[in-house]
Amino acid sequence: MLRYGIILSFFITVIYLFFLIIRTFSFGKKSLYAESQGDVKKGIIYAFGQGMMPWEKESAKKHLITYFAGIFYHFGIFSAAFYVISIIIHFYIGDLIVNLIRALVFIGILCGIGLLVKRIILPYMRKISTPDDFIANILVDVFLVLAFIDSYNLELRNVFLAAVIIMLLYIPLGKIRHCFFFFYSRVIFGMFYGRRGVFPQSQSRRY
Amino acid sequence: MKKEGNARDQYEDKIDNLKAEDFEKVIQEFRKRIHYDFAAWLNTCAHCGLCADACHYYLTYKDPESIPGYKLNLVTKVFKKHFGDTASKAVSAWIGVEELNKKVIREWADSLFGRCSLCGRCAINCTMGINIPYIIRAARGAMAAVDLVPPGLQSTVNTAIEKGNNMGITKEDWLETIEWLEDELRQEVNDPQAELPLDKKGAELLYTINPREAQFFPMSILAAGKIFYAAGESWTFSSDYYDVTNYGLYSGDDHVSGVMSKRLVETLRELECKKLILTECGHGFNSNRWEAPEWLSMKYGFDVRSILQVVADYIQKGRIKVDPSLNKKVMTLHDPCNLVRLGGIVEEQRYILRNVASHFVEMTPNREKNYCCGGGGGQLAMTRFAKRRIEVGKLKADQIRKTGAEIVVAPCHNCIDQLLELNKHYKLGVEIKTVCEVVADALVIKKKKQD
Repeated sequence: MLRYGIILSFFITVIYLFFLIIRTFSFGKKSLYAESQGDVKKGIIYAFGQGMMPWEKESAKKHLITYFAGIFYHFGIFSAAFYVISIIIHFYIGDLIVNLIRALVFIGILCGIGLLVKRIILPYMRKISTPDDFIANILVDVFLVLAFIDSYNLELRNVFLAAVIIMLLYIPLGKIRHCFFFFYSRVIFGMFYGRRGVFPQSQSRRY
Repeated sequence: MKKEGNARDQYEDKIDNLKAEDFEKVIQEFRKRIHYDFAAWLNTCAHCGLCADACHYYLTYKDPESIPGYKLNLVTKVFKKHFGDTASKAVSAWIGVEELNKKVIREWADSLFGRCSLCGRCAINCTMGINIPYIIRAARGAMAAVDLVPPGLQSTVNTAIEKGNNMGITKEDWLETIEWLEDELRQEVNDPQAELPLDKKGAELLYTINPREAQFFPMSILAAGKIFYAAGESWTFSSDYYDVTNYGLYSGDDHVSGVMSKRLVETLRELECKKLILTECGHGFNSNRWEAPEWLSMKYGFDVRSILQVVADYIQKGRIKVDPSLNKKVMTLHDPCNLVRLGGIVEEQRYILRNVASHFVEMTPNREKNYCCGGGGGQLAMTRFAKRRIEVGKLKADQIRKTGAEIVVAPCHNCIDQLLELNKHYKLGVEIKTVCEVVADALVIKKKKQD
């Protein structure tokens, strides 16, 4: 029964996220009249590649621990999501894959908790946080912890699946919606700077 | 906001006297400025805080109010209250939604006008890629609709609209300035035929200036004239509209921004020129090259170029001859945010300096990663925030000091104003010059053949 609940909540969430994306277009599309001096496609590629690398992005370079914690947190989340999918569709994954998932989820748990602690103890982080920032982090951490436990012991399977449903339904409500909006915003970022010939930098190296 | 005289008190009074319909107007004006991209950005911030160290205000004060994400959230919470989706509204208490009220307006005034130079450094450092300065500008524009642009900035905009240039220079003064500069040019190049042409129909280039050049830095006009002379360029000034600046970019008022830019477009068409050439002015470049066609909803159909692109082409094509040994002092380069990070003019100035200077050293960081000098975003015009402007400029002063340069080249007159103040305040002991000035110093002008 909970499996169907997950499928249902997944579709509710995805549909709502798509609705949110489409809703942004209700605010109007902007025609661009200024002549481009760069390449939009190269800008988008830059936005998802080089533009996210620590040697290119000062905010990442200065905060390497947070940067990598964020990356491994998300690796953990995607691994746990893959694990859930395998449960739902009864797809057998071998021990090697399970062990890899366990490792990634475990690292993800440490990173998630680390980021939560950072948000709690640093005054400037508290100041820019809303209750949603804490709730979202805790929900995802619980999801990861239960996925990790479930990979060893099936006794908490129902609790795990219920947590998945709660987390899925929470996604569109708060900051976790960035799982969709991240890609959307990075595309717009790439379009903006690519068109202006700012990124990638090679575009303006004519001299 | 700290008290800084009567003008500031009147501004506070305006906020105190805001009525419900004023808030509604701000909200509706803000709505008009939001398109799909803004709506996406306003849904994206994950409050990771990584933008903090990108901002020169935060690096100076280390206060949460200066974090770009915090400033963005001041706008986001109002957006979500008034234009948020059902899900957001259902959990409004958790996600920090807030009604627009006097307290929020006060925060907007202090943070969006007083703690941001719209430099865009946060945007390129944002994990999500949110264009925070453009959202801040949209909120500034909404405040402009109820006359809540800080007085100094608004009066600069008003002067430009009423007088045709932001310094209120009369036509008579402008023509006189050009006349004596033309005499100077003739003496410098030893050619009685050399000219600073005015209203020359059919000229290839229409050259615009920052009115501060005419008022305080006429030698930079002369320098450009000397370069055009050396290149044998077909160019002209307009006797009426020559102001490249557009403080509407900073007040956020798209309508007045459009009015100012349209004057240049109409002037170019009246004079039947082919290209609009923008002087060394960061925000003037961003305004007229990138934003104005959007404000006016029109494709220009002619080239809009920075003087830096023109000069770089002259050097590359051999149209002017330069001798770097004529500039022996160590030079460094300041990258104006609107020209480089937001404008895409990154290498031209470097190519020029490598050709005209014996010893050119880069600041660290540089190019699109460079720090704002603190003078952008209308900060130079907003006296209420002058103390902050000088304080946040320390970062730039330190950057300059570390280069050991004797000359700071800044292709932006707003930046130059700020750098001059920083030079004095932080006792840097450097000269501040435009790119054209150092090019003019290195020019080798061939004597024209006698007919």
